[in-house]
Amino acid sequence: MEQMKMSCKKIIVIAVVWCVCVFPLESVRAEGVRAAISGQNLVCRVETDRAVLPAGSSQDVVLKITLDAPPVPGHVQRPPVNLSLVLDQSGSMGGVKIEQAKAAAVEALRRLGQQDIFSVVVYDSNVATIVPAQHAQNVQGIIRMIDQIRAGGSTALFGGVSQGASEIRKHIEEDFIHRIVLLSDGLANVGPRMPEDLGRLGAALIKENISVSTVGVGTDYNEDLMARLARESDGNTYFVESGYDLPGIFAAELGDVLNVVAKQVKVTVTLPEDVTAVEIIGREGRIRGQKIELFMNQLYGDQEKYALIKVKIPPSAAGTKRKIAQADVKYENPFSKKIEQSSGISYASFSQDSKKITESTNVDVVKEYQLNLNALAQEKAIALSDKGQKKEAVQELKKSAARLKSMGAQYKDERLLDQADALEVQAQKIEEKGMTKKDRKILRTESYQQLFQQKSQE
Amino acid sequence: MTHKRSIIFFWALFLVPTLIMAGAAFTLLSHEQDRISESARTALVERARTVCESIHLTIETVQGNLVQSLLDLDPQQLEKHLIQWEQTNPLIRNVFIWQKKQNEPYLEYPLRGMASTREERWFIARYDALFTGRIPFDFNREELNTEHLNKESENKPLSGSGSAHAQYDADQKMPGKSSRQTLFSMSRLTSKSASDETAFRKSGANPPGRVEQSGWIPWFSENRLFILGWVQKYETGPVYGVELEFMTLLSQLVTDFPTELQKNSAMVLMDGYDTHMHQAGQLQIDPEQKPLALIPVSPRLPHWRLGVFTDTHAGPANRGFLYISLLLLGVFISAIVSGGILLTRATLANMKDAQQKTSFVSSVSHELKTPLTSIRMYAELLLSKRVQDETRIRTYLSVIVDESHRLTRLINNVLDFGRLEQGKKKYQYSVIDLADFLDHIVQAHSIRIHSSGMQIFKKYRKLDYTIRTDRDALEQVVLNLLDNALKYAAQGKFILFILEKENDFFVLKICDDGPGISRIHREKIFERFHRVDDSLSAKQPGSGLGLTIARQILRDLGGDLNVEPMPGNGSCFTARIKHHDAD
Repeated sequence: MEQMKMSCKKIIVIAVVWCVCVFPLESVRAEGVRAAISGQNLVCRVETDRAVLPAGSSQDVVLKITLDAPPVPGHVQRPPVNLSLVLDQSGSMGGVKIEQAKAAAVEALRRLGQQDIFSVVVYDSNVATIVPAQHAQNVQGIIRMIDQIRAGGSTALFGGVSQGASEIRKHIEEDFIHRIVLLSDGLANVGPRMPEDLGRLGAALIKENISVSTVGVGTDYNEDLMARLARESDGNTYFVESGYDLPGIFAAELGDVLNVVAKQVKVTVTLPEDVTAVEIIGREGRIRGQKIELFMNQLYGDQEKYALIKVKIPPSAAGTKRKIAQADVKYENPFSKKIEQSSGISYASFSQDSKKITESTNVDVVKEYQLNLNALAQEKAIALSDKGQKKEAVQELKKSAARLKSMGAQYKDERLLDQADALEVQAQKIEEKGMTKKDRKILRTESYQQLFQQKSQE
Repeated sequence: MTHKRSIIFFWALFLVPTLIMAGAAFTLLSHEQDRISESARTALVERARTVCESIHLTIETVQGNLVQSLLDLDPQQLEKHLIQWEQTNPLIRNVFIWQKKQNEPYLEYPLRGMASTREERWFIARYDALFTGRIPFDFNREELNTEHLNKESENKPLSGSGSAHAQYDADQKMPGKSSRQTLFSMSRLTSKSASDETAFRKSGANPPGRVEQSGWIPWFSENRLFILGWVQKYETGPVYGVELEFMTLLSQLVTDFPTELQKNSAMVLMDGYDTHMHQAGQLQIDPEQKPLALIPVSPRLPHWRLGVFTDTHAGPANRGFLYISLLLLGVFISAIVSGGILLTRATLANMKDAQQKTSFVSSVSHELKTPLTSIRMYAELLLSKRVQDETRIRTYLSVIVDESHRLTRLINNVLDFGRLEQGKKKYQYSVIDLADFLDHIVQAHSIRIHSSGMQIFKKYRKLDYTIRTDRDALEQVVLNLLDNALKYAAQGKFILFILEKENDFFVLKICDDGPGISRIHREKIFERFHRVDDSLSAKQPGSGLGLTIARQILRDLGGDLNVEPMPGNGSCFTARIKHHDAD
């Protein structure tokens, strides 16, 4: 069953990659024509898990602040991209992996236009810039430079990212979408190597509008480090088992980069005076009294990103209606280069009719809330397994699977049920054989993608 | 023999000092190599020191700029500007505002609890000792003052319009932007965040209560180094500051490391736990390897050191000078030794030649004298007319004719040898039947053969023996071989002539059942002047040229001459004769 699901997943991924590879940018632009008709503004929605709340008691409510990114406008030139590929050329990358990484780099290069900037940095024990930052014009010359890459040595991952950032900075003042794509198949063994350290580097780079997307190859890389770096810098994270998937992944990543429709997205949620923020689920944010601040670096065309916030509301009388929250979004439109804003307000009414309350459930909010709780449970299971508490890790996963199953059954939601089944199988497998490197990587990547919705919508 | 020994002795006299000189040169070269390696190591260490100084100056300037920027902040909107700075500046990890209210320590920003991000909560926990007032902010003032005094001239950036700003301005004018320049620009506050404080400060006025204290605290927590900078503008005012984003600092510093180090060396930036934070240079460092030098990076980064590593198992890269020198020395010695050997060989060969020539002249003189004596004796007898018997007269005349022929052949051989040696012999090709040609010679010399007591046998295969070659030259070859057989195999009973064909060659064999030729002489008999017995008293007359000439002629005609032992006794000379096509 699990294998079938994995196969289906693979087929979907391959199909998506194929689509991305076969249909060039022009198809993205064609999509944009529809966007021009449908309007260009980012839409902010604020929803509660139930539209009607029980009257007369204080209660916790889950708020979902959704940002619906518009499609890429077709009539406007897309913003140029400043892309730096940071490739691992340590000894373990020898053979198919390094050849496919080179092919992936060439694939990425071919998808760029003359206005874009391209650079390639390689690292083993040392760091070297193979292609200094330059306009993607002399394609054949750049391909010849990429062909020189040979595998051998240790893994100076930190130095590689630093050098990649240095290449990006050569054009940092200009109006580019700045992106580093980091590829690694092994453990960093030269330079800072703790996930926290790389996370801090990511957090600093995002302040310069540089995002780092990480691609882990095989089962020997440090997924915590790669996910943390991507998370802090608002990039994507990918796990591929074999080098053969690399060109497709690079193409998909570049598809995202070329699709950016909003940069520097800042969400401020304002709560009425008597409503208290309890917690922000999954994401990093700041609760300052009645104001909750969230930050997202960028949104891709047609993407939906959201944040979940748990708030406490005071008792209200039946039949009343009140404002729960207002969200204001400020972002930079990379096409018009202007700061734009959007906002959304959520209201809830109160009733003592439990049927009415149940019927008012917003399945979408509940589902995403459960999936986020599940992602957090996956993170917790990883932490427990790392401490050698296999039994507790399995219990955590099973508990989450049961919760998903119950919710899935209640709301007849296929996605929740599928997720519950997959999680149960995974928990069973871990119970029998322990958490393999591959299991850990799948859990980490899935939870990351769920919590941060970083993977482009397929 | 004495001469030969003398030559070898003198050669040895020449060789021994050469080898001694070579040994001395090798020692000198080794020392020179060591000296070069040592100076390369020293240069590497010096370079590492320069890197450390550069890092120190960069950090000092960055910290100076940051302090300056903090002091320039508008006190009315301190929190707003600090938060804005933290959100946009990659060099700032966290900011804080702290002050004593009613003698109680109070952290104004970040606020404890949910109003802080997770990172800010960690930040508060990390510096709990400072924020709760257990440790004063200036607890390391003494240390800083000492450093300040030592580095007074370098600390000018702290004064606001010092060298850091000048350096920064100079850097801005340079093409491209190094990481150092990026750091400097990050460490400076944008003008809109600064109030008129800057102008106020530059005016030199100092309002009451203004103290402008500042400091940097290297802080170890969770096995990591954190750096906190603080300022206090007024005695009763708040202490506020920033925590450096250490990874940004490190990330920028490592990209300015030298990249063009030799393959067998490396510089490694190490933290207080000897973790390798960055490596420049291709050398693969063994975990157990001890560094050549460990240089403290900066007092601003306590316990951080820059390790210099070189390959202890010196490879070809750093011993290049020694190897090239040794190669040259080897070529020099080989040239001397091989030259000496060649000279000695040439001298010995010349000596042998001279000896053989002397022997040849004696032999030829002897050879010439013998028939001449016979001719002269019989001619004088005939001239005196004392011999009247017709038969005896005919015999005497026959001897004179035979001896004349012998003399002619001898002279012809000597003349031919000269021509062959100089490569001047010319060949006239004509078509002959080899069997007829051999029959004719055998017939002409049958009397000589029979008078030597030998019988003639022939063994010709039934083939077509038509060949195009030089008849006279070939006749000389056959006669020389025949003479050789008659001289040295006369005690045998027969002489056998064989004709056959092997591949493209006609093969003529002249075999006898004489005493044969020993193995050691089998090749030497074809050398010029060589005779198995070369003394004047040799039993058989000869010049030692017959076989040499015969082989040389056959080789010139595209064939060859060899000798093989006959089964039982005797020898068999095999002449391979090549057919020459008409041009």
